[in-house]
Amino acid sequence: MSELYRSSTNTSSGEGQASRWGLSFPYRLVAPLAFLLIAVLIYPLLFSFWVSLHDYTLTRLNDVRFVGIGNYARLLRNADYWVAMRNTLTFVILAVSLEFLLGFGLALLLHRALPFRDVFRSVLLTPMFITPIAVGLMFRFLLNSQLGIIPYLIRSLTGRSVDWFGPELALYSIVLIDVWQWTPFMLLLLLAGLESLPREPFEAARVDGASGWQMIRHITLPLMRPIILAAIIIRMLDAFKVFEYVYAITRGGPGSRTEVIQYHIYRVGFRFFRMGEAAAMAYTLVLITLLLTIVLVYTLRKEAR
Amino acid sequence: MGSYRLRAQVAQGLALSVVLLAFLIVLFPYLWLFLTSFKPPALLSRPEVVRFTPTLVHWREVLGSDFPRYLGNSVIVGVVTVLIALLAGAPAAYAFSRFRVGGDRARFGVLIAQMVPPTVLIVPLFLLMYHLRLLDTLIAVIAAHLTFILPLVTWFLIGFFDEVPRDLEEQAMVDGCTHWQAFYRVVVPVIRPGIAAAALFAFVLSWNEVFFALLLTGGDSKTLPVAIAGYWTFRGIEMGKMSVAIVVAIVPVLVASFFIQRHLVKGLGGGAVKF
Repeated sequence: MSELYRSSTNTSSGEGQASRWGLSFPYRLVAPLAFLLIAVLIYPLLFSFWVSLHDYTLTRLNDVRFVGIGNYARLLRNADYWVAMRNTLTFVILAVSLEFLLGFGLALLLHRALPFRDVFRSVLLTPMFITPIAVGLMFRFLLNSQLGIIPYLIRSLTGRSVDWFGPELALYSIVLIDVWQWTPFMLLLLLAGLESLPREPFEAARVDGASGWQMIRHITLPLMRPIILAAIIIRMLDAFKVFEYVYAITRGGPGSRTEVIQYHIYRVGFRFFRMGEAAAMAYTLVLITLLLTIVLVYTLRKEAR
Repeated sequence: MGSYRLRAQVAQGLALSVVLLAFLIVLFPYLWLFLTSFKPPALLSRPEVVRFTPTLVHWREVLGSDFPRYLGNSVIVGVVTVLIALLAGAPAAYAFSRFRVGGDRARFGVLIAQMVPPTVLIVPLFLLMYHLRLLDTLIAVIAAHLTFILPLVTWFLIGFFDEVPRDLEEQAMVDGCTHWQAFYRVVVPVIRPGIAAAALFAFVLSWNEVFFALLLTGGDSKTLPVAIAGYWTFRGIEMGKMSVAIVVAIVPVLVASFFIQRHLVKGLGGGAVKF
C-alpha cells in the first residue's frame, strides 16, 4: 500500500511532490481549513487574550491601558464573578447528573425489544435539535404562574401554587429545562454504546443465573465506562455555556439567583462595555474547558485502543 | 415457567409505561405550542381552555410582519456557513484521516476547537466587525458561526473517511486518476450520506445559534432565534405570536432530525470512538 502511495508521486498531484506553493498534497487539502480557522478562531483567541490584559472599555477606546494580570487578579475579589461561578457549577452538576441518570435508564429500557421502539427513540431524541432560545420561551410560557398550564394543573390538583421562577426555584427550574432538552443527547450516546457491546459476556452471565441488576452492575457499567465518561464530559462542556434559558426567562434574576457565568460575561462585556474584564472572565472559562477537554481526549484515546 | 413469563410480562409492561411517560413529556410542549398558535387572543390567558374554534389571526400577523425576512436570513446564514465548512472541512478531514496530517494532535485540535466558549470569541469578533463596518450584517454572523461549524464538520467527516477502504482510491489512481480526482470522484461519493448528515446537522446548529447572532445582528439582519428572543414580553396577544414563531422555527428542524439521527453517533465520535 505504501509502495503504491510512493509510486503515485509521478502523477501531477502526487502527495509526495511539492506543489508550486511548496505544499505537498495532504497539506494542500488542509490549507483552506487552516487558513479559515486562523482567521475566525486563532486570531480572535489571541486578540481576546490581549484584550484581557488591558483596561479595555468600549466607550473609551482611545484610552486603552495595559494592566497585565490586573483583570484576572481583580476577579479573585469580585463577588459577582464568584456568585456566577457558583450558580454555573450548581447548574452543571445537577443538570448533568440528572441527564445521565435519566438517559442511562431510558437507554436500558429502549435497548429492550419494545413495540414501536424506533418511533419512541426518534421522538425522544428530538428536543436536542431545537433552538434553546425557543425551549426557554416555551417553558417560560408553560410554567408561568398565571398563564401556564403546569402551574394551573398543580393548583387544581393540590391547591398549592408554585412559583417556578421565584427566588427559591428559579435555578432548579432552569436545570429541569436543560434536562428536558439534553437528556436525549445522553440517550443517543448511551444507547449507541449499549448496542455496540459484545453479546457473549451477557449470555455467559445468564447461563450462570445472574439477575438483571447484577448484569448491569458487573458487565454493562464496566464495559460502558469510556462511553459514559465521554458523554458526561461532553455534556458538562456544553452545560458550562448555558445562556439561552437564562436570557429567555430570568435574565439572571430574581436578584442574581440565575446569573450564570456566560450570562454574566455577556452583561459585563456588552451592557457595561468592560471588555477587558469580560475577556479575562471568558479566559477562566477557557481554562475549565481545556481541562475538561484534556480529560475527554484521554478518555477517547483509551477507548480507541 | 409460568411465573417466569408473568414476571417478564410485568417487566415489559413497566418498561413500556416508563418510556411512554417520557414520550409524553417530550411531546406535550410541542402539542401545547401548536394548540396555542391557533388559540383566539381572548382565551390566551386561560390555560385550562383546550376546546376552542381555531383562529389563524396569529399566523397571519406573524407571517405578515418582518418575520419571514428573519427566516430568510437564517436560511442564508446556514447555507453559506455549511457550504464554506464543507468545502474547507471535507478535504481537510480526508487529509487527517488518510495521511494523518499533524497526527493525533491535529485531530484533537479539531475537537478542542469545537469546545471554545463563545464568550471568549465574541469580544474580538465584535470589535473586528465593528472596525470592518460589518456589524449588523449577515457576514458577521457567518464568520461567527464558522468558528464552531468548521471544526464540527471536519470532526464529523473524519469518522466517515476512516471507514472508506483505501483500495477504492488506489484502484482509481491505477486507472489514471490523480489523487485529487480520486478524492472527489471516488471517495466523496462513497461517503455522501455522511456528508449529508454533517451538512444537515451543521445547518441545524447554525439555525439554532443565538448568542453570536444576538450581539452581531440587529434590525434587518436579525436571524430567526434573535427574532424569537424578541417575544420576551408577555403581554396578552404576544404569546400567540410567539407560539407561531417557535412552531415555524422548530418544525423544519424536527423533520431534519429524523434524517440526522442515524449518522449522528458516528459523526460525533469523529473516528475516535468506535461504537
